[in-house]
Amino acid sequence: MGYVRGLRCRECGAEYPATRLTVCDACFGPLEVRYEIEAVKEAFTRGALAHRPRDLWRYAELLPVADEASRVDLQAGFTPLRRAENLARALGLRNLWVKDDTVNPTYSFKDRPVAVAIAKAREWGLPAVGCASTGNLAAATAAAAAKAHLPCYVFASAHLEPTKLLLPRLYGATVVPVCGTYDDANRVALITADRHGWGFVNINLRPYYAEGSKTLLFETWEQLGFELPDAVVVPMGSGLLLTSVDKGIQELDALGQVEDGHTRIIGSQPEGCAPIVRGFESPDGRPRPVKRPASIAESLAIGDPASGFEAIQIMRRTGGFADAPLDAEILEGQRLLARTEGVFAEPAGGTTVATLKRAVEDGRIGRDERVVLLVTGNGLKTPAVWNGVLPALTPVAPDPAAVDRFLGGA
Amino acid sequence: MRLVLASPIATATRGEREISLEFEGTLDQLFTEVTKRYGNGFRTRIYDGQGTLRRFVNVYVNGEDARYLKGLETPVPRDATVDLLPAIAGG
Repeated sequence: MGYVRGLRCRECGAEYPATRLTVCDACFGPLEVRYEIEAVKEAFTRGALAHRPRDLWRYAELLPVADEASRVDLQAGFTPLRRAENLARALGLRNLWVKDDTVNPTYSFKDRPVAVAIAKAREWGLPAVGCASTGNLAAATAAAAAKAHLPCYVFASAHLEPTKLLLPRLYGATVVPVCGTYDDANRVALITADRHGWGFVNINLRPYYAEGSKTLLFETWEQLGFELPDAVVVPMGSGLLLTSVDKGIQELDALGQVEDGHTRIIGSQPEGCAPIVRGFESPDGRPRPVKRPASIAESLAIGDPASGFEAIQIMRRTGGFADAPLDAEILEGQRLLARTEGVFAEPAGGTTVATLKRAVEDGRIGRDERVVLLVTGNGLKTPAVWNGVLPALTPVAPDPAAVDRFLGGA
Repeated sequence: MRLVLASPIATATRGEREISLEFEGTLDQLFTEVTKRYGNGFRTRIYDGQGTLRRFVNVYVNGEDARYLKGLETPVPRDATVDLLPAIAGG
């Protein structure tokens, strides 16, 4: 199938053909897609990329979908890489960019992995799709399923923000609101998908799903003029985005597309749910599961992160680090990003901004480093976090004198 | 009690994904019982060489992750449901 060589276990190295395996058959470790790199080299050239469509399929050689007809065309990807001069100045950096995935079709980066997973579900003729979600994945899966004419089942915590439960229903999915946390929803979703033979994008389609997230890194590389940044700040829920960013870098390197330099990968979680950060700080490098996540950054509220151990290893290997700002810092990060760059991110975006702010202040990130912030979800999905933060607006009479009084005599 | 297994683990129980057992004891004792029924392949499938559960295996007793309880010493009541699942969470 195309350029795919097969699947390999990231834990024990066992290799398999690229079939519907969920986890390693030997150790249950996570599987990753491997490519025929020499063949990819022939086709994946800078010249060829210049003439391709501006969506994630422009990197088709490094995506595990051979059959073009199975793709769902929501045109996810190729989002702006914004030069963030104002935010850079506010933080004391010289070179900062914001990779703005708030503008994807369903307003988060999840449209990328879902595009690949739904294509696989169609390739394999699965009867239905779904996911367990902290919010963003729900909308992405439901929208792609709608376009693909597939029934969709979304499992989420019943306590999730209303907007995030509303969107998948509008796209036509069946939402299963589970009493409990994301991890509870994930457990029952896993069993349900297993029983019915459904394709759950982040569960039994996970090895393929993970590949879509790499395109964030490929785009960053291309938009920086085929260069990688010195540091990239990544929000972490399960840790899978961070491992995918690393895989993207490794693949570009294997293709001979990375001339020099070295990218530090930095992970960010909210203090109220920081199992990976706490693991990074521990000598054994094992995530510290959180039973009851408590943070406004709900999209990152995964207490038992499946890719946490690998994410920790990657941050250590690349000379990166992990940090967990407080909710107040996260809100301030959201506000700073909005006021300096005109980008309204959800709290996950505020989390990366807050982590960067801390790191510049204490010197973990140098002022001359070229930094990319991954901003992965749109603030309009989580308006409730602002309740009571800004003062209430007092209505003004439609009268110029009243306006002057309102403006403080200006 | 009822033992629920996801497909990747059920290869060690001859494909059976739901097993009813007359049992009361600890998780470790439960898995010894299941091993008696299905052979040592079950034990090697979920335990590592040190006698602890493999890192990518999650166990839940009545929906509670055993790591938050007493691990393999967690009591399994007569009417419990135990889920044995590969660790996959989140996107």
